[in-house]
Amino acid sequence: MDIKNHKVYKSLFKNPWSYVTGAILLSVFQIITMAATDGAWGVVGPFAVWAAWVYEAVGGSVGKWYFFNLEGTRTALEGTFFSDPSSIRNLGLAFGALLATLLASQFKFKKIKNLRQAAAAIIGGLLMGYGSRIAFGCNIGAFYSGISVLSVSGWVFAVFMYVGAFFGSRLLVKYFM
Amino acid sequence: MAEVELDCLGEACPIPLIKTENKLKELTVGDTLIVIIDHSCALKNVPEWARKHKHIVEVEELGDGEYEIFIEKTS
Amino acid sequence: MSEITTEMSAPQATPAVSARKSSRRTETRKTKKDQTIYGVAILGLTIVFGIYLTTVSATLGIFWLTGIAFGFILRRSNFCFTASMRDPIMTGSTTLTRAVLIALGITSIGFAALQYSASFFGLPIPGMGFVVPISFATVAGAVLFGTGMVLAGGCASGTLMRIGEGYGMQLLSIVFFVIGSFWAARDMGWWTLNFISNGPRIHLPEILSWGGAITVQLIVIASLYFLALKWENRKQES
Repeated sequence: MDIKNHKVYKSLFKNPWSYVTGAILLSVFQIITMAATDGAWGVVGPFAVWAAWVYEAVGGSVGKWYFFNLEGTRTALEGTFFSDPSSIRNLGLAFGALLATLLASQFKFKKIKNLRQAAAAIIGGLLMGYGSRIAFGCNIGAFYSGISVLSVSGWVFAVFMYVGAFFGSRLLVKYFM
Repeated sequence: MAEVELDCLGEACPIPLIKTENKLKELTVGDTLIVIIDHSCALKNVPEWARKHKHIVEVEELGDGEYEIFIEKTS
Repeated sequence: MSEITTEMSAPQATPAVSARKSSRRTETRKTKKDQTIYGVAILGLTIVFGIYLTTVSATLGIFWLTGIAFGFILRRSNFCFTASMRDPIMTGSTTLTRAVLIALGITSIGFAALQYSASFFGLPIPGMGFVVPISFATVAGAVLFGTGMVLAGGCASGTLMRIGEGYGMQLLSIVFFVIGSFWAARDMGWWTLNFISNGPRIHLPEILSWGGAITVQLIVIASLYFLALKWENRKQES
């Protein structure tokens, strides 16, 4: 029997799902997350802690920084990557995507194409990192989860993220194409 | 009835789509544009855009996450 | 005939395109590698690691499982929050924007139900950690974030997902994402003192009651949905 041409296998692993299917399933797992952990989905929370581990490993100290003396970050900082639930979830996200890609036989390592693309990645990364820290989250924690927990902050974030996307689109077409 | 190739390998979204739009404007009705991509999002938004504009679209998987999108300009 | 071509191609494709395609196919065709075996290996690894984490702490196990699920779903549906904000501006397509609105609608209903039942039984309301102060820091952060995600071709979840897919660009972008986050962490005292500490935390049910909050929320989401639909039609006609 050819399991790979079976239609259940194909719809699970090979043929792309519709966006609406994605939306419904993401919602289901958001609700599971809330029911099981009393919190919603977030991504960028542990990022600054990862950097702090590296910084302290090379001899720096963040002991006096206001941010790392907050209760939540203090705990994460004192633990390890494998004891921090949010870090584990992020690792899982990359693994889930890898799994889906391999099961569809679509994996290929894609090198950075040119300097222009590298510059876009660096500038974009820095802006996202800084922005998501001061706004208490990214498009997941501040936007998707923020709006869904019925917080007004999520809507404010949404409006201004849209403004940013507008600037970003202009910059992309002008300088990075 | 020209056949034009557009290499978008390594390009992240939305660049393949914008390049496709621009390139297609230069072509005449009946020409075919072959867009080569390796970005999974472009695989969705390029054919979607082209079909909405009533062009004839076919997608072929080359393997290892690379695809060719054939777009025949109809209008 | 290649296996998946048929499902994804337009049914109305003319022989002209197909003919041209088949003449090309011989020259461009590569040997297609089957990567399923690696996929199964990763699946095994994922399960073993999940079991290990669960024995350490059930919480870690749940976070691992949900992380895998989010990554798998995002990848299989090519869901992209960046595109949901960018495409209406750049191409006029709102398919993803509307999908995001559907996600917001369903998740809001689910969260509201969980929050309401907790409050009904006098328990602490879950998810209140995401009701954050609104200040100039929210505005500035959101603008910076929005700009950055379009340039980098992916938001936070999108970047992680694309690392799993093998994109070098996103691997570079995540390094600077982390550095950017660290940079902001250094300035966090200043932002807190000047803006965040004065920002109000507003939970809609406090000002509108539970029924009012969810009603208003769903009306706003539905209005945006129809706006997005109209926007797409208008853009497409022009």
